[in-house]
Amino acid sequence: MNFQVSRRRRRWLAHNLITNHRRFIGSIAAIFAVVIAALLAVAAAQDWIKTGTGLGVERIRLAVPDFKASNQDPKNTDLLRVFNATLWSDLDNAGIFDLVSKSFYPVEVPGNPAEVKFEAWNTQPTNAAMLAFGNLGVNANSMVVQGWLYDVKNVTSPQVLGKQYTDAATPDAARATAHKFADEIIFRLGGGIPGIAETQIYFVSNRTGHKEIWAMDYDGENQHQITHLNTISLSPRISPDGSRLAFSSLTKGGWQILMYSMDLNRLVSFPHFGGTNLSPAWSADGGRIAFSSSRTGDPEIYVVDQSGGNIKRLTDVKGPDVSPGWNPKTGAQIAWVSGRTGLPQIYTMESDGTNIQRITEEGYAVSPAWSPNGQFLLFSWIRHYGPGVLGGDDIYIMDIVSKRFVQLTHQGGRNDFPSWSPDGRHIVFQSNRSGSEQIWTMLADGTNQKPLTVSGSNTQPNWSWK
Amino acid sequence: MEANAEIFFEHDRWGHNLAWSVGLHLAVTGAILLYGFFGPEGRGSGWGAGGGGDAMGVTLVSTIPLPANPQQTQNIVANESKGLSQSQPKPKEEEPEAIPIPDKNAKTKLKPKATATQRKPEPQPEPVEEANNVVPFGEGGPVSGPYGVFNANGAKGGFGFTGGGGDFGNRYAWYVRVVQQKVSENWLKYEVDPRVTDARRVYVTFDIHRDGRPTNIQVEQSSGVPSLDQSAVRALARIDTFGPLPSDYPGSKVSVEFWFDYKR
Repeated sequence: MNFQVSRRRRRWLAHNLITNHRRFIGSIAAIFAVVIAALLAVAAAQDWIKTGTGLGVERIRLAVPDFKASNQDPKNTDLLRVFNATLWSDLDNAGIFDLVSKSFYPVEVPGNPAEVKFEAWNTQPTNAAMLAFGNLGVNANSMVVQGWLYDVKNVTSPQVLGKQYTDAATPDAARATAHKFADEIIFRLGGGIPGIAETQIYFVSNRTGHKEIWAMDYDGENQHQITHLNTISLSPRISPDGSRLAFSSLTKGGWQILMYSMDLNRLVSFPHFGGTNLSPAWSADGGRIAFSSSRTGDPEIYVVDQSGGNIKRLTDVKGPDVSPGWNPKTGAQIAWVSGRTGLPQIYTMESDGTNIQRITEEGYAVSPAWSPNGQFLLFSWIRHYGPGVLGGDDIYIMDIVSKRFVQLTHQGGRNDFPSWSPDGRHIVFQSNRSGSEQIWTMLADGTNQKPLTVSGSNTQPNWSWK
Repeated sequence: MEANAEIFFEHDRWGHNLAWSVGLHLAVTGAILLYGFFGPEGRGSGWGAGGGGDAMGVTLVSTIPLPANPQQTQNIVANESKGLSQSQPKPKEEEPEAIPIPDKNAKTKLKPKATATQRKPEPQPEPVEEANNVVPFGEGGPVSGPYGVFNANGAKGGFGFTGGGGDFGNRYAWYVRVVQQKVSENWLKYEVDPRVTDARRVYVTFDIHRDGRPTNIQVEQSSGVPSLDQSAVRALARIDTFGPLPSDYPGSKVSVEFWFDYKR
């Protein structure tokens, strides 16, 4: 037998083997690719399903018919229109009511307690649990609004609230009165937590050509400019008592923390530190400010008094430490972003720099924001950071104690800089899902997302404390 | 020659081994897939799902919500619980005065006496107080009216408001609702020992002051599970305020009795 194989045959055999081998490997690779794709799809689907709706906590069915005019003054119509629209949207936005649609209301609506017909409101189709009604009238140059909140299921003693407001007869005053009345209702029925109808949101806008600090009502109305520095101003933070606004600005001496007095309507003095100074954050009692400074070369977290003195350094590890935020409930902890391990991650520490704990374990996490009750942390997270990985910056909420988290935004794109409302029920953030950077708001469970700004580029919102 | 043949022989065996290797890889991948589909869920994905250590404090309003657990309806049977209605002592029946057997002489005299005795008004039966808190059969305990009961993630709880003439719940049903909502929002189920699946009722009492603060939180009757008792107390301690008491309520505080049933 001749085992000697010709060179050509050897080559042909080898070629065959390699080709077969290649085909084999190719098919295995194809199978693996399919398997991995399936795994990815499953994993992504599981992330989505986890956010659900409230667990058996029912919203109060509230009926809010239009307020009636109490006299024949011609100015009533305009004021009533503004008042009714504002009251409706405040109660709708509160997050604790199920407003009964106006198409279910009976034909006759009450303007004062004598006109209330309980059976019309507490039976089908209206089926309301609470009724807010009242009247508005202009007398000489002042506007008098009377409002009541009735428990229509309790015919014997229905009154929960009865209020009278007197103000100037202007649309702005009508809006302010509607905000006050809505806040009263929310305070009573929401368990002693004040409503947010009179709160403000501070943000950065470039619609004048420069990035300046602006402010607006919580519902997007009344947007007005605050600073006129004609340079870049970022990360506005209002003080807990609302009297001063701290922000970082590019001055002739580099990036510095500036202080604007809302009472005096001008800048007030605040010391300049060396290096780049960014992202000021007020403590809950307004006595201290934490910020990030690179005066030693590496950005670290520092704490100063609210007047700028007594500077203390809190972090000393190599790697950028930025974006501090105080725990508003205890005032004793600070959450911040640190790049000490590479990509930015969220950490917490005591307010003297001890007891450093790492909160996020992976991805790219920035912008921590404590909830007003100190139990939750909001942040912006690219969970699977890397080239070619799907998904962008999304807002996540995490329970500090159990470290469990839920994803609140899913649309992709960049969702960043979340900020809590003082009642802990609403979140404001910036998103570029509409094509440009705008300020958006949503309820704390991720529902009811809607934009507040439309013109220019608006970023870095900060909700006031009250 | 032989060597050449050996080389080709080796190549064949290599292919065979490769097939085994690939087969095992596929088997492992398949096992991982199956595990992913049917196995337990990992960290971060279990929040709120299934019956394990859910954070009940997360809701639509002041906290974020969780997927609702399927509600387990409780079979209401006679169970150990505090009774609200006291057992009324049986009204003492007065024994009719023994009418002495009249002497033959005193026959006529006694007759009017006898009638007088009979006309003596019967001792009025004590008026039975109608409890204005209806106590459902088999449960006893505080009020289980439509406003006093709530379900939270498989657990049941209820309220009774005392102090205030007993009609606090009737007059201020909206305030009761606020109290109920706040407590159910702040009760964190993961504080209870995860090995507990079922527990007797725990009774907790506390006062609500004029400004809405809960004070004087005490466990009145333990459920036998210390972690459940503690989680009930902590739920109340976590609450800063329920909102001020209604302005036309005359008292300076109202006492609340509060029960929790736990079922995992």
